[in-house]
Amino acid sequence: MTELSDELLVAYVDGRLARKQSSAVEKVLEQDDVLAKRVKALKDAHNRLEAAFDAILAGEELEVGGPEPERAGVFVPWAAAAKTALAGIGLAAAFALMVLGYGWPLSVEDFTRTSFGSGDPEYTGSIEPSWQETAARAQGLLSRETLEVGLESQSNLDLVALELGKAIGPSLKIPALDTQGYRFERGQLLRAGDQPLAQLLYLGRSGGPLALFARKGGDGEAPTFRRYGGVGSVAWSEDGISYLLAGEGDEPALMTLAKAIRSLPQPGAPRDASDGARP
Amino acid sequence: MVFLRFAWAVPALRAPAREAAGTAKVQAEDFHDQIRPGLIAHLPRLKRFADVVVGERAGATALLRRALNVMLAEQHRYRRDRALDAWAFAEIYATWLAEVSDAEDPEAQQSIAEGSLAALIGRDADWETVRFLAGLPVEHRLMLLLVYGEGFDYAEAGRVLDISADMIAARLIRISAAFADRLCAARRRKRTAGAEAVDRSNLS
Repeated sequence: MTELSDELLVAYVDGRLARKQSSAVEKVLEQDDVLAKRVKALKDAHNRLEAAFDAILAGEELEVGGPEPERAGVFVPWAAAAKTALAGIGLAAAFALMVLGYGWPLSVEDFTRTSFGSGDPEYTGSIEPSWQETAARAQGLLSRETLEVGLESQSNLDLVALELGKAIGPSLKIPALDTQGYRFERGQLLRAGDQPLAQLLYLGRSGGPLALFARKGGDGEAPTFRRYGGVGSVAWSEDGISYLLAGEGDEPALMTLAKAIRSLPQPGAPRDASDGARP
Repeated sequence: MVFLRFAWAVPALRAPAREAAGTAKVQAEDFHDQIRPGLIAHLPRLKRFADVVVGERAGATALLRRALNVMLAEQHRYRRDRALDAWAFAEIYATWLAEVSDAEDPEAQQSIAEGSLAALIGRDADWETVRFLAGLPVEHRLMLLLVYGEGFDYAEAGRVLDISADMIAARLIRISAAFADRLCAARRRKRTAGAEAVDRSNLS
């Protein structure tokens, strides 16, 4: 293996070597796999950093460049003006305003307002939210009613059915999933915004809990599977109630459970003895 | 007259430092009048610089606003032989340093939350990069930004951060090598985890 220092390789990757030096490094790389891999890793690191900084700038250009163009202090027309040799009486007037000191304060105010006013940016995909964000969002699900019902009552299926049925609607299904291998543990009332949200929790023989969420709304949407990080989910709606089944299971397992729940009769409807779910 | 002056002055002020370095910039007697439109033209880049210092949008906006106030109040300190963007970056950093030195726990001001940084980077971010950047001291993050994000040479970056070009070069090598090692380690972990999963499924 040829000895080339990280110092030289970083300079090469960053394009800071003279052409002759670069050519010499390239020749070495052609014959040395280890060094070639090192250069590849350094290039990857360099590219990721560049991409991250470009992305921040793109976000800021969107933020700062967003204000309404008719305002005198907004900078975007100035950039355009420079490119078009500053033609036009309106631009001249706007520039005069800026020189006189009116435009700048306006620009700063607009810029500040748009930046502060930005919403909670989404970052999904490969980006994991911090634990603080996850916890804060979980807190947003809790309502006063969540804590007003005692834990003992939360584990009584009949009481839960009564309580949650009142909040969500009489057609709410409270399935027992013992035949599918999941024991009912407890149910509670959460909130999704200002809407009540029912949560039924089950435990299988191993692994984390399985949850069935339900809230008012929806009309006959077919079950669809989605994965959020390590949690799989199936969402559907029936009889004016939207359901979300969530747990660690894979798509086939969760779809099978969803199918079992969907096949249950409506509460109050005559029961079919062959249904294994609701006791 | 004012109008004509703006026409040739602004492109020079807007150009990134790497392009503007060494070129004549503003020769008018009252060239300080150009600082305002120049700063406005640079706003997204100045905001990104503040973002990388603070690590979250609202705090960065507030820092930038304070620094801009200082720059405008003391614009006579701007020398025409210096690129405006580099001067503005240095002023933002100096404002932040002055505020941090007054803080109860200056060390704590260095750290930024991974989630906030990820939000700044947005959808194009990858978690390894976010973690790495969030774990660096402010000066190192800014070094990376100036060299890789802004395309400054080591001397220009050094002038912004008030350290020598040699220091910038030495630290960049160390940081780049550390990040490359980290990415390789992450890939190895992923491969190992994948292989173990295959082994487990074969056993079962």
